[in-house]
Amino acid sequence: MADNVEINIPVADPDDPYAVPAAMPSSADTSPRSFDVADFATPTRKQDDWRFTPIDRIPEFFEPFAPSGETRISVGYIDGSPLDDDDVDVREVAIGEAPCGAVGKPSDRAAAVEWNSARSAWVVELKREPAHPVLVQVHGEGLDPDALHLVIVARDQVHGDVVVEHDGDAQLAEGVEIVTGRDAHIGTTFIQEWSADSKHVANHRIRLGAESSLRHSVVTLGGAFVRIRMDQEFGGEHGDLNMLGIYFVDPGEHIEHRTMVVHNHPECRSRVVYKGALSGKGAHSTWVGNALIEPTAPGTDSYELNRNLVLTPGAIADSEPNLEIENGNIIGAGHASSVGRFDDEELFYLRSRGIPERQARKLVVRGFFGELVEEIGIDELAAHLMDAIDRRLARGEDEDTQHALEEK
Amino acid sequence: MSTLEIKDLYASVETKEGRKQILRGVNLTVNSGETHAIMGPNGSGKSTLAYTLAGHPKYEVDSGQVLLDGEDILTMTPDERAKAGLFLAMQYPVEVPGVSMTNFLRTAKTEIDGKAPAIRTWTKELTEAMKRLKMDPKFATRSVNEGFSGGEKKRAEVLQLELLKPKFAILDETDSGLDVDALRIVSEGVNRAKAADDFGILMVTHYTRILKYIKPDIVHVFADGHFVKTGGPELADELEERGYDEYLPEGSDSESALA
Repeated sequence: MADNVEINIPVADPDDPYAVPAAMPSSADTSPRSFDVADFATPTRKQDDWRFTPIDRIPEFFEPFAPSGETRISVGYIDGSPLDDDDVDVREVAIGEAPCGAVGKPSDRAAAVEWNSARSAWVVELKREPAHPVLVQVHGEGLDPDALHLVIVARDQVHGDVVVEHDGDAQLAEGVEIVTGRDAHIGTTFIQEWSADSKHVANHRIRLGAESSLRHSVVTLGGAFVRIRMDQEFGGEHGDLNMLGIYFVDPGEHIEHRTMVVHNHPECRSRVVYKGALSGKGAHSTWVGNALIEPTAPGTDSYELNRNLVLTPGAIADSEPNLEIENGNIIGAGHASSVGRFDDEELFYLRSRGIPERQARKLVVRGFFGELVEEIGIDELAAHLMDAIDRRLARGEDEDTQHALEEK
Repeated sequence: MSTLEIKDLYASVETKEGRKQILRGVNLTVNSGETHAIMGPNGSGKSTLAYTLAGHPKYEVDSGQVLLDGEDILTMTPDERAKAGLFLAMQYPVEVPGVSMTNFLRTAKTEIDGKAPAIRTWTKELTEAMKRLKMDPKFATRSVNEGFSGGEKKRAEVLQLELLKPKFAILDETDSGLDVDALRIVSEGVNRAKAADDFGILMVTHYTRILKYIKPDIVHVFADGHFVKTGGPELADELEERGYDEYLPEGSDSESALA
């Protein structure tokens, strides 16, 4: 590397002062993007991107491996009916064969390892509006390392929903590419309900076409270790991105979501809302929300929020919003983040109206997640998600009771 | 006919400076159909009495008994007390985000009655009660108390009082923060509920103005953690005229009972 790097500091045009990019080089996009594993150093806790991650639990995700093939994929409509080929095309292509590999490049070593380990990519292409949401079931049948690459494509002007459901036993390196055409309006929902021994490291690379909207939802309810990193960019102006996340962390689990939203075109809007509940000793959640507004993105409107509800003592929630704004002519760029316990006053209020403590807690937690579940907007899922949240809450309480009894 | 008996009640609160005893020997008997005004200077412990009766975890009972028809409610959890027939209308009703008023009210009604209310009559009852309190129907779909103005929160408290039909209602500074119109609507709601269900009322207030709308049978002065004087409605007039000065410790600023 040259010792002296020339830095050009732009000079303001007095007629259009806002057009000037920041006089500082961007820091958020200096990290490498590459398909080559060797371009990334093996992660350590000293690297910013891995600061919150207990990397000693996932060494198998840092070196290319021969995939076990223990992951089963099936695709159909969410109501169980078979797909209409005129609406949805499902096919397997070689890694790197179009449309695979079109959206950005891996942003960390684990993502590059996935790219170099997966044998092929599954493509789900929405050609026109499907009759029902499309359901991609990813079922793990073993705890040996496996790799999966999934490409979701929505053509111009298509409206539709894709739900990806993960369950079973797995140690899965996953790459997901989501790309839309012009004026497409789609929702993608990723549900993680893995077994208690499972590990899952994923990288989503997203490009949203001009005039398009994407509702990208992530619901992580189970797994010993889940880390999902999402890198997004706009493909044109007037894009509308809505990223929603729900997570529930049990004792000893590490659940990590990292969103990287890049505003690179004018007048795009982004919202990131992640909410999580944690219970018990060693439950650890991490949310890192990065938003970068580039000089090329005047009229940007962005906001990100993360809330954590700590149900029982001993859990740790890391929450870090990062904003880098390189354009002064924007509508808004905000963030909010909080970690809190059950509010005693809320519980007392409900109990003073005759509602028993257990039910009062349930109401508060359902209230905490309810709006988000509604916003995910898939009726077939809403009841299932609320039930899953109730079950988790009940399980946490039973464990609490158990601990309390053991301590006596 | 029900009776609420408070017997020699002592209670404390944890503060930064250590444990502080607030209630010091409270004695009171309230029967169904009676309205008791509990008046007193700021910091005398009126609200502590209200919260202690309802079972707020912040307040610890040191000694004494509170018997509702002979049963000691102090051994009960807050929800058990509500089921036994106690209702506390709070001075600062709490916001519960994400829980709709409708869902909350139906859940509470189900718990208090021991069975779910019949859907059709319940919806009608709720709609009519809201109408009488001049509440916008859209409140039913909003989260409990969230974004409600002070007056709206107090109306929502009275709505719950009307629907849950307790044996005894404690109204903690229900008049605070209300303008004259809102005070009238809220007071009418309380009077209507009492006419229907004939419950006993413990009305905690600093000011006399609510007593023009909700007529007390008995007026008490509460100071330094216990009752110091009891009389008829004329005692309120006396307080209106003379303020709380004679009940304050030496050297305190004078306090009026007029809003």
